[in-house]
Amino acid sequence: MRRSTLYPMLLTVLIYAAPLLVAAAKVGQAAPDFTATASNGKTFRLSDYRGKYVVLEWHNNGCPYVGKHYRSGNMQHLQKQWTGQNVVWFTIISSAPGKQGYVTASEENEYLTKMQAAPTAALLDPTGEIGHLYDAKTSPQMVVINPQGMVIYDGAIDDKPTTDLSDIAGATNYVNLALEQAMAGKQVQTPATRPYGCSVKYPDSTH
Amino acid sequence: MASTSLRPRWGSSPKRTLWCIVQSQAPFVVESFAMLFLTAATKGWPNKKMRENDSGRRLSPVLTFGVGLVLCTAGAQGAETPIPHGTLELVAENRWVTPGHEFSLGLHFQLEKGWHIYWVNPGDSGEPPRVTWQLPPGLSPGVIEWPAPRRLGTSSIMDFGYEDAVTLIVPVHAESSLAAQPLARLGAEIRVLICREMCIPGKTELSLTLPVKSLPPAPDPRTRDLFAAARKELPRPAPQNWKFSVDDTGDSFVLAANVTPQITQATFFPLAEAQIDNSAPQALQPLASGFRLTLRKSDQLLKPIERLKGVLVLSGNRTYLIDLPVSKRGAQKNNSDNGIREIQSSKEELGT
Repeated sequence: MRRSTLYPMLLTVLIYAAPLLVAAAKVGQAAPDFTATASNGKTFRLSDYRGKYVVLEWHNNGCPYVGKHYRSGNMQHLQKQWTGQNVVWFTIISSAPGKQGYVTASEENEYLTKMQAAPTAALLDPTGEIGHLYDAKTSPQMVVINPQGMVIYDGAIDDKPTTDLSDIAGATNYVNLALEQAMAGKQVQTPATRPYGCSVKYPDSTH
Repeated sequence: MASTSLRPRWGSSPKRTLWCIVQSQAPFVVESFAMLFLTAATKGWPNKKMRENDSGRRLSPVLTFGVGLVLCTAGAQGAETPIPHGTLELVAENRWVTPGHEFSLGLHFQLEKGWHIYWVNPGDSGEPPRVTWQLPPGLSPGVIEWPAPRRLGTSSIMDFGYEDAVTLIVPVHAESSLAAQPLARLGAEIRVLICREMCIPGKTELSLTLPVKSLPPAPDPRTRDLFAAARKELPRPAPQNWKFSVDDTGDSFVLAANVTPQITQATFFPLAEAQIDNSAPQALQPLASGFRLTLRKSDQLLKPIERLKGVLVLSGNRTYLIDLPVSKRGAQKNNSDNGIREIQSSKEELGT
Protein backbone atom coordinates (compact mmCIF):
# COMPACT_ATOMS: atom_id res chain seq x y z
CA MET A 1 0.00 0.00 0.00
CA ARG A 2 1.36 3.38 -0.95
CA ARG A 3 2.11 5.85 1.77
CA SER A 4 -0.04 8.53 0.12
CA THR A 5 -3.17 6.43 0.64
CA LEU A 6 -2.13 5.00 4.00
CA TYR A 7 -2.14 8.31 5.85
CA PRO A 8 -5.61 9.43 4.77
CA MET A 9 -6.87 5.98 5.76
CA LEU A 10 -5.25 6.16 9.15
CA LEU A 11 -6.63 9.64 9.61
CA THR A 12 -10.11 8.42 8.71
CA VAL A 13 -9.85 5.60 11.23
CA LEU A 14 -8.69 8.04 13.89
CA ILE A 15 -11.50 10.49 13.19
CA TYR A 16 -14.10 7.74 13.50
CA ALA A 17 -12.44 6.19 16.51
CA ALA A 18 -11.97 9.46 18.38
CA PRO A 19 -15.51 9.66 19.79
CA LEU A 20 -15.17 6.11 21.08
CA LEU A 21 -12.05 6.98 23.02
CA VAL A 22 -13.77 9.77 24.96
CA ALA A 23 -17.22 8.17 25.10
CA ALA A 24 -19.15 9.13 28.19
CA ALA A 25 -21.03 6.77 30.46
CA LYS A 26 -24.09 5.16 28.93
CA VAL A 27 -26.84 3.04 30.37
CA GLY A 28 -26.09 -0.65 29.88
CA GLN A 29 -22.38 -0.05 29.58
CA ALA A 30 -19.51 -0.15 32.05
CA ALA A 31 -19.32 2.84 34.37
CA PRO A 32 -16.11 4.73 33.61
CA ASP A 33 -13.67 4.47 36.51
CA PHE A 34 -12.42 7.52 38.35
CA THR A 35 -10.40 8.51 41.38
CA ALA A 36 -11.36 11.56 43.37
CA THR A 37 -10.58 13.41 46.57
CA ALA A 38 -13.48 13.80 48.96
CA SER A 39 -14.22 16.78 51.21
CA ASN A 40 -13.10 14.63 54.17
CA GLY A 41 -9.63 14.39 52.60
CA LYS A 42 -9.86 10.72 51.68
CA THR A 43 -9.33 9.38 48.18
CA PHE A 44 -12.03 7.24 46.57
CA ARG A 45 -11.78 5.04 43.50
CA LEU A 46 -15.02 3.85 41.92
CA SER A 47 -13.66 0.41 40.94
CA ASP A 48 -12.88 -0.31 44.63
CA TYR A 49 -16.64 -0.65 45.11
CA ARG A 50 -17.27 -3.51 42.69
CA GLY A 51 -19.75 -5.81 44.33
CA LYS A 52 -21.84 -2.94 45.65
CA TYR A 53 -24.46 -0.69 44.20
CA VAL A 54 -23.16 2.87 43.75
CA VAL A 55 -25.24 6.03 43.41
CA LEU A 56 -23.70 9.19 41.92
CA GLU A 57 -25.48 12.46 42.76
CA TRP A 58 -24.43 15.67 40.96
CA HIS A 59 -24.61 18.51 43.43
CA ASN A 60 -24.60 22.34 43.45
CA ASN A 61 -25.66 23.95 46.71
CA GLY A 62 -26.86 27.15 44.97
CA CYS A 63 -29.15 25.40 42.50
CA PRO A 64 -32.86 25.72 43.34
CA TYR A 65 -33.57 22.20 42.03
CA VAL A 66 -30.96 20.80 44.41
CA GLY A 67 -32.33 23.06 47.13
CA LYS A 68 -35.76 21.51 46.67
CA HIS A 69 -34.40 18.07 47.57
CA TYR A 70 -32.19 19.25 50.44
CA ARG A 71 -34.51 21.79 52.11
CA SER A 72 -37.24 19.16 52.10
CA GLY A 73 -34.83 16.57 53.51
CA ASN A 74 -35.61 14.27 50.58
CA MET A 75 -32.01 13.81 49.44
CA GLN A 76 -30.71 13.21 52.97
CA HIS A 77 -33.49 10.67 53.48
CA LEU A 78 -32.50 8.82 50.30
CA GLN A 79 -28.82 8.88 51.32
CA LYS A 80 -29.59 7.40 54.74
CA GLN A 81 -32.06 4.88 53.37
CA TRP A 82 -29.69 3.46 50.74
CA THR A 83 -26.33 3.70 52.54
CA GLY A 84 -28.19 1.82 55.31
CA GLN A 85 -28.66 -0.97 52.78
CA ASN A 86 -24.96 -1.17 51.90
CA VAL A 87 -25.25 1.12 48.86
CA VAL A 88 -22.32 3.51 48.25
CA TRP A 89 -23.47 7.08 47.67
CA PHE A 90 -21.13 9.66 46.16
CA THR A 91 -22.22 13.28 46.03
CA ILE A 92 -20.16 14.87 43.24
CA ILE A 93 -19.50 18.61 42.95
CA SER A 94 -18.36 19.52 39.43
CA SER A 95 -18.69 23.31 39.74
CA ALA A 96 -15.53 25.10 38.62
CA PRO A 97 -13.84 27.65 40.93
CA GLY A 98 -15.71 30.95 40.74
CA LYS A 99 -18.89 29.26 39.50
CA GLN A 100 -22.10 28.63 41.39
CA GLY A 101 -21.85 25.64 43.72
CA TYR A 102 -18.04 25.56 43.89
CA VAL A 103 -16.93 24.77 47.43
CA THR A 104 -13.68 24.13 49.24
CA ALA A 105 -13.38 20.92 51.25
CA SER A 106 -14.12 22.69 54.54
CA GLU A 107 -17.11 24.56 53.10
CA GLU A 108 -18.54 21.26 51.89
CA ASN A 109 -17.96 19.62 55.27
CA GLU A 110 -19.83 22.50 56.94
CA TYR A 111 -22.67 22.09 54.43
CA LEU A 112 -22.90 18.33 55.01
CA THR A 113 -23.12 18.89 58.77
CA LYS A 114 -25.62 21.72 58.50
CA MET A 115 -27.88 19.81 56.11
CA GLN A 116 -27.42 16.53 58.01
CA ALA A 117 -26.49 14.97 54.69
CA ALA A 118 -25.27 11.39 54.76
CA PRO A 119 -23.52 10.39 51.53
CA THR A 120 -20.65 7.91 51.72
CA ALA A 121 -18.51 10.86 50.60
CA ALA A 122 -18.73 14.20 48.81
CA LEU A 123 -16.27 14.13 45.92
CA LEU A 124 -14.68 17.37 44.73
CA ASP A 125 -14.44 17.62 40.93
CA PRO A 126 -13.52 21.28 40.27
CA THR A 127 -12.02 20.46 36.84
CA GLY A 128 -15.28 18.80 35.77
CA GLU A 129 -13.35 15.67 34.77
CA ILE A 130 -15.76 13.22 36.41
CA GLY A 131 -18.71 15.30 35.27
CA HIS A 132 -17.59 15.07 31.63
CA LEU A 133 -16.75 11.37 32.04
CA TYR A 134 -20.42 10.78 32.88
CA ASP A 135 -21.66 13.57 30.57
CA ALA A 136 -23.42 15.08 33.58
CA LYS A 137 -25.70 17.87 32.36
CA THR A 138 -27.51 18.98 35.48
CA SER A 139 -27.65 19.02 39.21
CA PRO A 140 -29.22 16.92 40.60
CA GLN A 141 -28.43 14.33 37.90
CA MET A 142 -28.40 10.79 39.28
CA VAL A 143 -26.52 7.69 38.12
CA VAL A 144 -26.96 4.19 39.52
CA ILE A 145 -24.22 1.56 39.02
CA ASN A 146 -24.79 -2.12 39.75
CA PRO A 147 -22.37 -4.48 41.57
CA GLN A 148 -20.97 -5.58 38.19
CA GLY A 149 -19.95 -2.00 37.48
CA MET A 150 -22.60 -1.34 34.82
CA VAL A 151 -24.65 1.85 34.59
CA ILE A 152 -28.26 0.80 35.22
CA TYR A 153 -29.81 4.25 35.58
CA ASP A 154 -28.86 7.71 34.34
CA GLY A 155 -31.09 10.75 34.54
CA ALA A 156 -33.42 12.73 36.75
CA ILE A 157 -33.99 12.08 40.43
CA ASP A 158 -37.76 11.93 39.87
CA ASP A 159 -40.50 12.72 37.39
CA LYS A 160 -41.31 16.26 38.62
CA PRO A 161 -38.86 18.66 36.97
CA THR A 162 -39.68 21.66 39.15
CA THR A 163 -38.27 23.65 42.04
CA ASP A 164 -41.43 23.28 44.14
CA LEU A 165 -40.98 21.39 47.39
CA SER A 166 -44.63 20.40 47.25
CA ASP A 167 -43.95 18.31 44.12
CA ILE A 168 -41.77 15.79 46.00
CA ALA A 169 -44.64 14.03 47.74
CA GLY A 170 -46.37 12.87 44.56
CA ALA A 171 -43.22 12.24 42.52
CA THR A 172 -41.99 8.89 41.23
CA ASN A 173 -38.37 8.57 42.38
CA TYR A 174 -36.34 6.96 39.59
CA VAL A 175 -33.33 6.18 41.84
CA ASN A 176 -35.52 4.23 44.25
CA LEU A 177 -37.17 2.40 41.36
CA ALA A 178 -33.84 1.46 39.75
CA LEU A 179 -32.33 0.20 43.02
CA GLU A 180 -35.48 -1.66 44.10
CA GLN A 181 -35.97 -3.33 40.71
CA ALA A 182 -32.29 -4.25 40.30
CA MET A 183 -32.02 -5.61 43.85
CA ALA A 184 -35.12 -7.73 43.21
CA GLY A 185 -33.34 -9.20 40.19
CA LYS A 186 -35.62 -7.39 37.75
CA GLN A 187 -34.89 -5.31 34.69
CA VAL A 188 -34.83 -1.58 35.46
CA GLN A 189 -38.01 -0.34 33.80
CA THR A 190 -36.91 3.27 33.35
CA PRO A 191 -33.13 3.16 32.82
CA ALA A 192 -32.72 6.66 31.32
CA THR A 193 -34.56 9.95 31.66
CA ARG A 194 -33.83 13.58 30.95
CA PRO A 195 -31.90 14.79 34.00
CA TYR A 196 -33.66 17.96 35.07
CA GLY A 197 -32.14 20.83 37.02
CA CYS A 198 -29.46 23.50 36.73
CA SER A 199 -26.71 23.06 34.18
CA VAL A 200 -23.48 21.72 35.67
CA LYS A 201 -21.17 24.71 36.13
CA TYR A 202 -18.17 23.51 34.15
CA PRO A 203 -15.24 25.90 33.59
CA ASP A 204 -16.72 27.00 30.22
CA SER A 205 -20.30 27.41 31.43
CA THR A 206 -21.89 30.72 30.51
CA HIS A 207 -25.51 30.10 31.33
CA MET B 1 -35.34 34.28 17.18
CA ALA B 2 -34.47 37.88 16.63
CA SER B 3 -35.39 39.33 19.97
CA THR B 4 -37.31 42.42 19.18
CA SER B 5 -37.53 45.06 21.82
CA LEU B 6 -41.26 45.18 22.22
CA ARG B 7 -42.46 48.48 23.55
CA PRO B 8 -44.59 50.48 24.46
CA ARG B 9 -44.78 49.79 28.17
CA TRP B 10 -48.39 49.82 29.16
CA GLY B 11 -48.27 50.03 32.88
CA SER B 12 -46.01 53.02 33.17
CA SER B 13 -47.73 55.51 30.89
CA PRO B 14 -49.34 58.35 32.93
CA LYS B 15 -51.33 59.53 29.91
CA ARG B 16 -52.83 56.09 29.44
CA THR B 17 -53.67 55.77 33.13
CA LEU B 18 -55.43 59.15 33.09
CA TRP B 19 -57.48 58.23 30.02
CA CYS B 20 -58.37 54.91 31.61
CA ILE B 21 -59.58 56.66 34.77
CA VAL B 22 -61.66 59.13 32.73
CA GLN B 23 -63.22 56.19 30.89
CA SER B 24 -63.86 54.32 34.11
CA GLN B 25 -65.65 57.32 35.64
CA ALA B 26 -68.01 57.69 32.72
CA PRO B 27 -70.71 55.31 33.99
CA PHE B 28 -70.70 57.00 37.40
CA VAL B 29 -70.95 60.49 35.87
CA VAL B 30 -73.86 59.33 33.70
CA GLU B 31 -75.46 57.69 36.73
CA SER B 32 -75.10 60.87 38.83
CA PHE B 33 -76.78 62.98 36.14
CA ALA B 34 -79.54 60.42 35.74
CA MET B 35 -80.16 60.41 39.52
CA LEU B 36 -80.22 64.20 39.56
CA PHE B 37 -82.81 64.41 36.80
CA LEU B 38 -84.87 61.64 38.36
CA THR B 39 -84.86 63.38 41.73
CA ALA B 40 -85.67 66.72 40.10
CA ALA B 41 -88.57 65.18 38.19
CA THR B 42 -90.12 63.48 41.22
CA LYS B 43 -89.24 65.73 44.18
CA GLY B 44 -88.15 68.96 42.59
CA TRP B 45 -84.59 70.31 42.33
CA PRO B 46 -82.66 69.13 45.39
CA ASN B 47 -82.20 71.94 47.89
CA LYS B 48 -79.10 72.48 50.02
CA LYS B 49 -80.46 70.46 52.96
CA MET B 50 -81.25 67.44 50.85
CA ARG B 51 -77.74 67.52 49.40
CA GLU B 52 -76.16 67.76 52.85
CA ASN B 53 -78.23 64.82 54.12
CA ASP B 54 -76.99 62.78 51.21
CA SER B 55 -73.47 62.58 52.64
CA GLY B 56 -72.99 58.98 51.51
CA ARG B 57 -73.42 59.98 47.91
CA ARG B 58 -70.84 62.73 48.26
CA LEU B 59 -68.11 60.22 49.00
CA SER B 60 -68.91 58.19 45.95
CA PRO B 61 -67.01 60.25 43.32
CA VAL B 62 -63.89 60.04 45.49
CA LEU B 63 -64.42 56.34 46.00
CA THR B 64 -65.07 55.58 42.34
CA PHE B 65 -62.08 57.67 41.29
CA GLY B 66 -59.94 55.69 43.73
CA VAL B 67 -61.25 52.38 42.42
CA GLY B 68 -60.62 53.61 38.88
CA LEU B 69 -57.07 54.60 39.77
CA VAL B 70 -56.31 51.20 41.26
CA LEU B 71 -57.87 49.34 38.33
CA CYS B 72 -56.18 51.53 35.75
CA THR B 73 -52.70 51.36 37.19
CA ALA B 74 -52.74 47.73 38.28
CA GLY B 75 -55.27 45.85 36.20
CA ALA B 76 -56.90 46.68 32.89
CA GLN B 77 -54.60 46.16 29.90
CA GLY B 78 -51.72 44.56 31.75
CA ALA B 79 -49.12 46.06 34.00
CA GLU B 80 -45.49 45.09 34.17
CA THR B 81 -44.95 42.83 37.13
CA PRO B 82 -41.45 42.23 38.38
CA ILE B 83 -39.97 38.75 38.03
CA PRO B 84 -36.36 37.94 38.92
CA HIS B 85 -34.16 39.95 36.51
CA GLY B 86 -37.04 41.08 34.35
CA THR B 87 -40.67 41.95 34.04
CA LEU B 88 -43.77 40.14 32.87
CA GLU B 89 -47.08 41.53 31.73
CA LEU B 90 -50.36 40.03 30.65
CA VAL B 91 -51.87 41.71 27.61
CA ALA B 92 -55.01 41.17 25.53
CA GLU B 93 -55.20 41.49 21.77
CA ASN B 94 -58.83 42.64 21.72
CA ARG B 95 -60.65 45.44 23.48
CA TRP B 96 -63.36 43.14 24.75
CA VAL B 97 -64.31 39.48 24.90
CA THR B 98 -66.92 38.46 22.32
CA PRO B 99 -69.00 35.40 23.29
CA GLY B 100 -68.59 32.58 20.77
CA HIS B 101 -65.21 33.83 19.56
CA GLU B 102 -61.57 33.04 20.24
CA PHE B 103 -59.23 35.82 21.32
CA SER B 104 -55.59 35.96 22.30
CA LEU B 105 -53.80 36.82 25.49
CA GLY B 106 -50.08 37.44 25.57
CA LEU B 107 -47.45 36.91 28.23
CA HIS B 108 -44.81 39.50 27.49
CA PHE B 109 -41.44 38.83 29.15
CA GLN B 110 -38.69 41.44 29.23
CA LEU B 111 -35.39 40.21 30.63
CA GLU B 112 -32.23 41.90 31.78
CA LYS B 113 -29.23 41.48 29.51
CA GLY B 114 -27.77 37.99 29.61
CA TRP B 115 -30.73 36.36 31.37
CA HIS B 116 -32.96 33.86 29.64
CA ILE B 117 -36.11 31.79 30.01
CA TYR B 118 -36.91 28.48 28.31
CA TRP B 119 -38.74 27.02 25.33
CA VAL B 120 -41.34 24.23 25.68
CA ASN B 121 -38.42 21.78 25.43
CA PRO B 122 -35.81 23.50 27.58
CA GLY B 123 -32.93 21.36 26.30
CA ASP B 124 -30.33 20.03 28.72
CA SER B 125 -31.32 22.05 31.79
CA GLY B 126 -34.01 24.44 33.00
CA GLU B 127 -37.77 24.29 32.52
CA PRO B 128 -40.38 26.16 30.48
CA PRO B 129 -42.70 28.77 32.01
CA ARG B 130 -45.87 27.20 33.38
CA VAL B 131 -49.21 28.99 33.51
CA THR B 132 -52.22 28.24 35.70
CA TRP B 133 -55.14 30.25 34.41
CA GLN B 134 -57.83 31.73 36.60
CA LEU B 135 -60.55 32.56 34.12
CA PRO B 136 -64.26 33.17 34.60
CA PRO B 137 -66.57 30.26 33.68
CA GLY B 138 -67.14 30.18 29.94
CA LEU B 139 -63.55 31.05 29.04
CA SER B 140 -61.19 28.18 28.22
CA PRO B 141 -57.48 28.72 27.61
CA GLY B 142 -55.68 26.97 24.76
CA VAL B 143 -52.03 25.99 24.73
CA ILE B 144 -49.11 28.39 24.47
CA GLU B 145 -47.94 29.24 20.96
CA TRP B 146 -44.16 29.08 21.29
CA PRO B 147 -41.93 31.21 19.07
CA ALA B 148 -38.81 29.50 17.72
CA PRO B 149 -36.12 29.44 20.43
CA ARG B 150 -32.38 30.03 20.30
CA ARG B 151 -29.55 27.69 21.23
CA LEU B 152 -28.10 28.86 24.53
CA GLY B 153 -25.13 26.95 25.84
CA THR B 154 -21.70 25.50 25.45
CA SER B 155 -20.07 22.51 23.79
CA SER B 156 -21.30 20.20 26.54
CA ILE B 157 -24.62 21.64 27.75
CA MET B 158 -27.18 23.17 25.40
CA ASP B 159 -30.43 24.82 26.38
CA PHE B 160 -33.25 26.18 24.19
CA GLY B 161 -34.82 29.47 25.17
CA TYR B 162 -35.28 33.19 24.82
CA GLU B 163 -33.19 36.19 25.77
CA ASP B 164 -34.09 39.91 25.94
CA ALA B 165 -37.83 39.81 25.24
CA VAL B 166 -40.45 37.33 24.12
CA THR B 167 -44.24 37.20 23.92
CA LEU B 168 -46.01 33.89 24.45
CA ILE B 169 -49.45 33.96 22.84
CA VAL B 170 -52.28 31.93 24.35
CA PRO B 171 -55.60 31.63 22.50
CA VAL B 172 -58.68 31.70 24.71
CA HIS B 173 -62.10 30.49 23.63
CA ALA B 174 -65.19 32.29 24.88
CA GLU B 175 -68.36 30.22 24.94
CA SER B 176 -71.34 31.68 23.14
CA SER B 177 -73.37 31.41 26.37
CA LEU B 178 -71.00 33.85 28.12
CA ALA B 179 -73.04 36.75 29.53
CA ALA B 180 -72.11 40.35 28.83
CA GLN B 181 -70.42 42.01 31.81
CA PRO B 182 -68.55 45.27 32.35
CA LEU B 183 -65.41 43.81 33.94
CA ALA B 184 -64.31 40.19 33.60
CA ARG B 185 -61.13 39.42 35.50
CA LEU B 186 -58.65 37.23 33.63
CA GLY B 187 -55.94 35.98 35.94
CA ALA B 188 -52.88 33.78 35.63
CA GLU B 189 -50.35 32.32 38.00
CA ILE B 190 -47.01 31.98 36.26
CA ARG B 191 -44.02 29.97 37.40
CA VAL B 192 -40.90 30.76 35.42
CA LEU B 193 -37.23 29.89 35.73
CA ILE B 194 -34.85 32.71 34.83
CA CYS B 195 -31.19 31.83 34.29
CA ARG B 196 -27.82 33.38 33.60
CA GLU B 197 -25.01 31.15 34.87
CA MET B 198 -27.35 30.55 37.79
CA CYS B 199 -31.08 29.98 37.85
CA ILE B 200 -33.75 31.73 39.88
CA PRO B 201 -37.31 30.45 40.04
CA GLY B 202 -39.98 33.14 39.89
CA LYS B 203 -43.67 32.90 40.67
CA THR B 204 -46.12 35.70 40.08
CA GLU B 205 -49.81 36.37 39.68
CA LEU B 206 -51.07 38.59 36.91
CA SER B 207 -54.49 39.75 35.87
CA LEU B 208 -56.27 42.10 33.56
CA THR B 209 -59.87 43.12 33.22
CA LEU B 210 -61.81 43.07 29.98
CA PRO B 211 -65.49 43.73 29.35
CA VAL B 212 -67.58 40.98 27.76
CA LYS B 213 -69.68 42.50 24.97
CA SER B 214 -72.00 41.10 22.33
CA LEU B 215 -70.17 43.06 19.69
CA PRO B 216 -67.80 41.85 16.96
CA PRO B 217 -64.20 41.45 18.20
CA ALA B 218 -62.17 44.65 17.97
CA PRO B 219 -58.36 44.68 18.16
CA ASP B 220 -56.88 46.91 20.82
CA PRO B 221 -54.68 49.46 19.03
CA ARG B 222 -52.41 49.59 22.09
CA THR B 223 -51.34 45.95 21.74
CA ARG B 224 -51.57 45.57 17.97
CA ASP B 225 -47.83 46.00 17.31
CA LEU B 226 -46.89 43.67 20.16
CA PHE B 227 -49.08 40.83 18.86
CA ALA B 228 -48.05 41.44 15.24
CA ALA B 229 -44.37 41.21 16.22
CA ALA B 230 -45.01 38.08 18.32
CA ARG B 231 -46.87 36.34 15.47
CA LYS B 232 -43.95 36.96 13.12
CA GLU B 233 -41.78 34.84 15.42
CA LEU B 234 -44.10 31.83 15.36
CA PRO B 235 -43.00 28.83 13.28
CA ARG B 236 -45.32 28.07 10.39
CA PRO B 237 -45.93 25.07 8.13
CA ALA B 238 -43.27 24.73 5.44
CA PRO B 239 -44.25 25.55 1.83
CA GLN B 240 -46.20 22.72 0.18
CA ASN B 241 -43.57 22.08 -2.50
CA TRP B 242 -40.75 21.54 0.01
CA LYS B 243 -40.16 17.83 0.48
CA PHE B 244 -38.74 16.48 3.73
CA SER B 245 -37.68 13.11 5.05
CA VAL B 246 -36.11 11.78 8.24
CA ASP B 247 -33.92 8.69 8.36
CA ASP B 248 -32.78 6.81 11.43
CA THR B 249 -29.16 5.90 10.73
CA GLY B 250 -28.50 4.20 14.06
CA ASP B 251 -26.67 6.89 16.00
CA SER B 252 -28.31 9.84 14.25
CA PHE B 253 -31.42 11.17 12.56
CA VAL B 254 -30.81 12.68 9.14
CA LEU B 255 -33.31 15.36 8.22
CA ALA B 256 -33.24 15.85 4.46
CA ALA B 257 -35.09 18.50 2.51
CA ASN B 258 -35.68 19.40 -1.11
CA VAL B 259 -35.59 23.14 -0.85
CA THR B 260 -34.67 25.96 -3.18
CA PRO B 261 -32.79 28.24 -3.07
CA GLN B 262 -29.81 26.68 -1.34
CA ILE B 263 -29.74 26.72 2.43
CA THR B 264 -26.56 27.79 4.22
CA GLN B 265 -27.78 27.65 7.81
CA ALA B 266 -30.16 25.22 9.48
CA THR B 267 -30.89 24.44 13.11
CA PHE B 268 -33.39 21.91 14.37
CA PHE B 269 -35.10 22.19 17.75
CA PRO B 270 -36.73 18.91 18.85
CA LEU B 271 -40.14 19.24 20.47
CA ALA B 272 -39.61 16.24 22.75
CA GLU B 273 -36.90 16.08 25.37
CA ALA B 274 -34.17 13.44 25.25
CA GLN B 275 -34.47 12.65 21.52
CA ILE B 276 -31.38 14.31 20.10
CA ASP B 277 -28.06 15.16 21.70
CA ASN B 278 -28.77 18.83 22.28
CA SER B 279 -25.17 20.00 22.50
CA ALA B 280 -23.87 18.02 19.52
CA PRO B 281 -23.12 20.13 16.43
CA GLN B 282 -25.82 19.76 13.79
CA ALA B 283 -23.86 19.02 10.61
CA LEU B 284 -25.40 20.75 7.60
CA GLN B 285 -24.65 19.27 4.19
CA PRO B 286 -25.88 21.60 1.45
CA LEU B 287 -27.01 19.76 -1.68
CA ALA B 288 -27.89 21.07 -5.11
CA SER B 289 -31.51 20.23 -4.44
CA GLY B 290 -31.63 21.10 -0.76
CA PHE B 291 -29.76 19.95 2.33
CA ARG B 292 -29.17 17.20 4.87
CA LEU B 293 -28.97 17.97 8.55
CA THR B 294 -27.47 15.30 10.82
CA LEU B 295 -28.81 15.21 14.37
CA ARG B 296 -26.98 12.94 16.80
CA LYS B 297 -29.30 10.89 18.98
CA SER B 298 -29.53 11.45 22.70
CA ASP B 299 -27.97 8.84 24.99
CA GLN B 300 -31.29 8.84 26.83
CA LEU B 301 -33.17 7.71 23.73
CA LEU B 302 -33.35 3.97 24.19
CA LYS B 303 -36.33 3.22 21.96
CA PRO B 304 -36.99 4.03 18.29
CA ILE B 305 -39.26 6.99 17.65
CA GLU B 306 -42.11 7.01 15.13
CA ARG B 307 -42.02 10.68 14.27
CA LEU B 308 -39.60 13.57 14.61
CA LYS B 309 -41.31 16.78 15.62
CA GLY B 310 -39.91 20.20 16.19
CA VAL B 311 -38.98 23.53 14.70
CA LEU B 312 -36.53 24.06 11.85
CA VAL B 313 -34.83 27.45 11.66
CA LEU B 314 -33.25 28.30 8.30
CA SER B 315 -31.08 31.20 7.19
CA GLY B 316 -32.94 34.46 7.21
CA ASN B 317 -34.67 33.54 10.46
CA ARG B 318 -37.34 31.52 8.65
CA THR B 319 -38.91 29.05 11.07
CA TYR B 320 -40.97 26.01 10.14
CA LEU B 321 -42.92 23.35 11.97
CA ILE B 322 -41.62 19.84 11.39
CA ASP B 323 -43.61 16.65 12.00
CA LEU B 324 -42.25 13.76 9.96
CA PRO B 325 -42.32 9.97 10.12
CA VAL B 326 -38.92 8.42 10.80
CA SER B 327 -37.80 5.74 8.36
CA LYS B 328 -35.15 3.16 9.15
CA ARG B 329 -31.71 3.04 7.57
CA GLY B 330 -32.59 0.33 5.01
CA ALA B 331 -35.53 2.26 3.67
CA GLN B 332 -33.29 5.15 2.74
CA LYS B 333 -31.26 3.10 0.23
CA ASN B 334 -34.23 1.54 -1.55
CA ASN B 335 -36.20 4.69 -1.65
CA SER B 336 -33.40 7.22 -2.11
CA ASP B 337 -34.99 10.62 -2.50
CA ASN B 338 -38.52 9.28 -2.65
CA GLY B 339 -38.56 9.14 1.12
CA ILE B 340 -40.66 12.24 0.87
CA ARG B 341 -43.64 12.88 2.97
CA GLU B 342 -46.20 15.51 3.50
CA ILE B 343 -45.37 17.90 6.26
CA GLN B 344 -48.08 18.43 8.76
CA SER B 345 -48.55 21.31 11.06
CA SER B 346 -47.78 20.31 14.60
CA LYS B 347 -49.02 23.58 16.00
CA GLU B 348 -51.30 21.92 18.53
CA GLU B 349 -48.59 19.63 19.77
CA LEU B 350 -46.12 22.47 20.06
CA GLY B 351 -48.22 23.75 22.87
CA THR B 352 -47.98 20.66 25.00
